[in-house]
Amino acid sequence: MNEKHITELLDNASIATLSEFELKEVRIHVKSCVSCHKAYEAARLSALVVTSRAQTTIEPAPFFHTRVMAALREQQAVDSVPAMFRLWKSARALVSSMAVTTAALAVLSFVLPGPAVADDQTLSAYSVESVIMDQGSDELSYEQVLSAIYAEEDEAN
Amino acid sequence: MRQAQDGDESAFAEIVRRYSPRVFSVATKFFRQRSLVEEAAQEVFLKAFTQLGSFEGRGSFEGWLTRIATNTCLNMVRSSKRRPEFTVSDLTDDESSWLDQQSASEGLEQPSVENSVVAADLADRLLGVLPPEDQQALLMIDGENASIKEVAEATGWSESKVKVRAFRARKKLREAMEKLLDHKGKKVDSPLNEQVSK
Repeated sequence: MNEKHITELLDNASIATLSEFELKEVRIHVKSCVSCHKAYEAARLSALVVTSRAQTTIEPAPFFHTRVMAALREQQAVDSVPAMFRLWKSARALVSSMAVTTAALAVLSFVLPGPAVADDQTLSAYSVESVIMDQGSDELSYEQVLSAIYAEEDEAN
Repeated sequence: MRQAQDGDESAFAEIVRRYSPRVFSVATKFFRQRSLVEEAAQEVFLKAFTQLGSFEGRGSFEGWLTRIATNTCLNMVRSSKRRPEFTVSDLTDDESSWLDQQSASEGLEQPSVENSVVAADLADRLLGVLPPEDQQALLMIDGENASIKEVAEATGWSESKVKVRAFRARKKLREAMEKLLDHKGKKVDSPLNEQVSK
């Protein structure tokens, strides 16, 4: 021990845990080794401050659990908001368009005046005319085709 | 426990009440201000509530909670900046006289309650230069006489990692103290020095 420096021994374990034998050897060595004496003093003071620091205690306040439970409820409330927000974000376009459509229909139904009521005759004539016009606008009926063919044959004869 | 796992808040409130001293004890290793200790403890219980489902009951609940507490505190300390090296000019008058007083005595007797606060302040500032993991290992092993295995269980580190961290922390702290004493101009009363001076 006398020839061997003790710094590794000091760093391997707390000085407070050294056995009596080890401490005796250390003390003998540091009497003849200045650098190890300084290291030993520093290790001894370090051990004292660490022990003092570890003995510091702070007890929980009497209503600490109430505070934790309040924080827990608050966190749960905060956590639930983003979920609602996400739902709203995805459905926002659909809900908005539905609302606009409903509003527009409501305006058309209740606010704007309806068309003047025409008499039945005009209405039915108009309806018949429009039906015929619609049918005849794109294609010929079977009778029209036949009459057109026979008309051509008559002209040829 | 089962009721708390099912989301029963009153059962969880009972857990908070019962285990607060343990969580405070862990948090006090990292912080000395009451407000910080309470903030850390609250964070621990909020995490524990959300992770209750993962507790399978293989180990003790206290051990499970201690690990959450340790990791939460470590994360909180990591997010705060580490302090620069502590120098002799940073010593308060009380700390300086405590060092003088302790250097004069050779024993390992614990200081009085009043002096303990000064010593704890000094420890805080010296330990502040170490990584939080190293601080934790040193405080548990040297401060609380915890075994390597106990620290490994509380932190989730391997036993060899705990040993390395404690060794490194002890060495750095000793060197920082040595430097402090040197700068303070302390004369180590070495018999060798006495012989040389004679």
